[in-house]
This record gives sequence, C-alpha cells and structure tokens, in this order.
Amino acid sequence: MNTVTVDQVSKRYRLSRLGAKSLREEFARWGERLFARQDSRGKEEFYALREVSFEIGRGETVGFIGPNGSGKSTILKLLARIIYPTRGRITVRGSVASLIEVGAGFHPELTGRENIFLYGSIMGMKQADVRAKFDRIVEFAELERFIDTPVKRYSSGMYVRLGFAVAAHINPHVLLVDEVLAVGDAAFQSKCQRRIEELRRHGMTIVFVSHDMAAVERLCSRVFFLSQGEIRAAGEPRAVINEYYKTVVAEKA
Amino acid sequence: MPASLINKEEAPREVEESVAPAPEPLLENTIEWSDSLIAHARELFKHRELLWLITQREIKVRYKQSALGVLWAILQPFSLMVVFTVFFSWFARMESDGIPYPLFSYAALLPWIFFSTSLSFAVPSLIVNSHIITKIYFPREIVPLASVLAAFLDFVIAALIFVGMLAFYRVAPTWNIFYVAPLIVIQSAFTVGVCLLLSAFTVLYRDVRHMLPLAIQIWMFVTPILYPASVVPARWRAWYFALNPMAVIIDGYRRAVLQGTPPELKYLALAAVVSCLLVWAGYKYFKHLEREFADIV
Repeated sequence: MNTVTVDQVSKRYRLSRLGAKSLREEFARWGERLFARQDSRGKEEFYALREVSFEIGRGETVGFIGPNGSGKSTILKLLARIIYPTRGRITVRGSVASLIEVGAGFHPELTGRENIFLYGSIMGMKQADVRAKFDRIVEFAELERFIDTPVKRYSSGMYVRLGFAVAAHINPHVLLVDEVLAVGDAAFQSKCQRRIEELRRHGMTIVFVSHDMAAVERLCSRVFFLSQGEIRAAGEPRAVINEYYKTVVAEKA
Repeated sequence: MPASLINKEEAPREVEESVAPAPEPLLENTIEWSDSLIAHARELFKHRELLWLITQREIKVRYKQSALGVLWAILQPFSLMVVFTVFFSWFARMESDGIPYPLFSYAALLPWIFFSTSLSFAVPSLIVNSHIITKIYFPREIVPLASVLAAFLDFVIAALIFVGMLAFYRVAPTWNIFYVAPLIVIQSAFTVGVCLLLSAFTVLYRDVRHMLPLAIQIWMFVTPILYPASVVPARWRAWYFALNPMAVIIDGYRRAVLQGTPPELKYLALAAVVSCLLVWAGYKYFKHLEREFADIV
C-alpha cells in the first residue's frame, strides 16, 4: 500500500490574484469585464505543476531535484496540506509533518521553552508528548542555557537549531524536508543528517527537496527530476542526477 | 539515541531500536477539504490543545513587556466608565433608568469590550499570522477563535471588578441574574460568527481592516452603552432591537443584573437565531475560502 499517492495533480496560480486585493480594484475589474466583455483572468495564469502523478511507498526516502521554480516546493506544500491542488487528487496515509521552513511557527516574544510547546502543537504533537521529549529536544538544539530567553534574542543559528530539534522529534509517518539541511554550522548539519538517517532506518517515509546532490544521492532511494512543473525523469538517484546535470549543461550551452 | 515512533492517532509510545518499522497508519488521511461542517468541527476538536496554546500566546504576547500586564484588561473598561460617568452623567445629565451611572455604564462596557476586542484582534488575525499559515497546516479557524477566546478571558477578569462594584452599590441580585449565562452564550456565538466571516473576508479584501475601527465605533453608538435603550422612541425600538443583536444582548445584561428583570425575550430569541445562522454561514464561508488562504495571504 502506498503512503503517498499523487494523481494527475495540477496547481494553477492566477498571477493577478496573488497578494491581497482591495475592493476598489475588484470593482474596477468588474467594470472592465462588464464593458469590455472580456475576461482578463485567463492570460495571467501560471501553472506551478501540470498533471503530476507519482506514488511513494512506505519507508521510502524520495528526493525531488530541479532548478528553481520547477515546482519542488509546491509538491511539498501540497503534501503538507498548506495549499490545495487546482485539479487532481492527493492521498496521504498517516500523519504528516513538514520541515518546510523550520521555526516558522515561532513567536519572537516567547521564550524558547514556550515556543517548543507552541511549535510542537502546531506540528501536531500532543502536549504530554512534547513534555516527555522536552529534555531531548533542548539537548539536541544545544540550547540548555538559553531556553528561558525570548527567541527574539536568539542568533539565527540558535533559531534554526531549535526549529529543527522540535521537528526532528515529532515522528510522523511522512516527513517532508525542504532544504533545511543547508542551515547551521557543519557540525549541526551533520547532526541533522544523522537524525534523518536514523528516522529513515526506523521506517519513516521521507520526501526530500534539495539542491545538495551529494545529500540526495546518499539519503534517497528514488529521485524525481522536475522541470517547469512536470516530471522529466524518475528512478535510481545517480541516473536521475546525471540526467539533471546533462539538462543544465545543455541549457547553458 | 533511540528514535521513538509515534502513531499520531494513538497514545504516544516509545519503540525500541529493534522494533522498527513503524506501525501501519490506521487512518486514511485523504487530502480533501470536505464540505461537511461536522467533519471540520471534529478536526477542530482534535486540535483543541493548539487552540488553547495559541490563545495563551495571544495573551502572553499582549501583556509581555508591559508594566501593568493583565491589569490592562480591567483598566480599559474601568477608565472608560470613569470618563463616561463624569461627562455623560455629571455634566450632560444622561438618563440611566435610575441606576447609578458607573454601574449602568460598566455593565454595558464589559460585554461590549469583549465584542470589540474580539473583532479588532480576530479580523486581521489571518493576515497577522500569515507566516504560519503559509508554512504549516492546521485548521485555520483556530487563529480567529483564539483571538475571541483571549478577549473572553479579559472579559472574565474585568467582570471580577464588576462583582466588587455590585457589592459596593448594594445591588441585590434576583433570580433573573441567571439570564447572564444564555446572554454570554448568544453573544459569544454572535461574535464567533462575525469574526469567522470577516477574518476570511479580510484575506480577500484588505479594506475590511481599515473599515473596522470606524465600524466598531459606529456600532458602539447604535448600541445602548452610553444611554439606556429606553431613550430610543418606542415606535423604533422594535427595529432597533431586531436589527442589532448586540443591542438586545447589552440591554439584556443590564436588565438581568441591575434591574432584576428578564431581557427582551422575543428579541433575544431572534438574536439567538441570527447568531446560530451567522456561526453556520461564517464557518461555511471560512472553510470554503480556507483552501486559498495560503495562496492569497
């Protein structure tokens, strides 16, 4: 049984609807459509994903690679339920947690301790569960001395360490990881990678987006190469990465 | 370090290194924004801890680094009551149905500030919290609901002073004081409905944010707070109560607590129906727009 099934999924953005509108703009557009009798919306469409289908089995570690704007992060956001597909169907069996932007749920005025509970809860953890893992989270983040300091006084490295430490202790069925391994110093990066390795060995399904090909090759059992919202190649990591490099070189030439 | 594997649907449990792999997920988590409000409400209930934590966050953040802290919850209605008493009662000789004006105005200010604070925090809440909404999934109604809940806690704190005032003025409560319970329920429902509707609408149209302070001010003047509802000419009073549920509710608090009479039950029933419809429509609209929040906000 597949853990993740993505069936013919498209994600369309209307460029004109990005960002907030004001009522005045809206009235102006109604006026335009009434008098000009043309719908100005059609030409301002942008497809971040076009009819993408794939499946991920339980315990697999799958990587998505591709140039910027190819739709990698859109896939993760769809799987995380942050955004909704324009067309198609997504099924995920089990709980999902995302490391899409670690520490996104932090509040600067609250202390590290308060933020661990808040962030853990946003990520779907029970309070009792956070309490049980609290010491391990703090230890992992190496923030014992600063845990009762408001996080607005944290350095960016401390911020990210705390975010990753909470996220790495959630233990969902599916973990979505977006480029977070590129944060912190070398020692913390390798600690994060070891943690992901550990989770993987325990049968967690991991979906991974990165520009770090070495990490992709080491961690993933299967890789998808995305370009302009479509899957160009899929399969064994080395072959797909080579395919990606070939395309990049060809486009540069 | 032994990794622990948690099935989110069950009690957390530690799994030894040797016991991998993870238990088969019990739940088919199909990604769909279904239209059943019961399903949405059930998911909200599952996230009740988060609602409580975000409410706590609202309160903590509001009073952090302020010297008086939670006293602000009391100072706001109390200082308004003092100013109103001096200017409207002593100077302008405003009627107050024979009730001491400080009591008369505080009894109305208390629930009114619960309503207006809810609105001013809940309506822009989705925009203010856009950094979370675009990064993590959770039922989005938690954000405006937490604002209402935080305002409710302020209301409870400020109500303690009111109890002291009742004792000071030797107001003997009658059995009608129990009408306060349904009044609070109806007012909360009305507030939640308006907040759900407007907070979602604000994501689409930022105009609401600029309109809100003016709207709250006007609404305050068409609600019997400074003056008794009895000053509204009798032939307009039916419309006055029918069109503004807050008028019936605020007038109801005064009657139940200070005058020892029941609220205008006919209009209160209407307000209750309107509130229920608002919660239903507001939640429906909110959930309908929710799938686009992260794209737009």
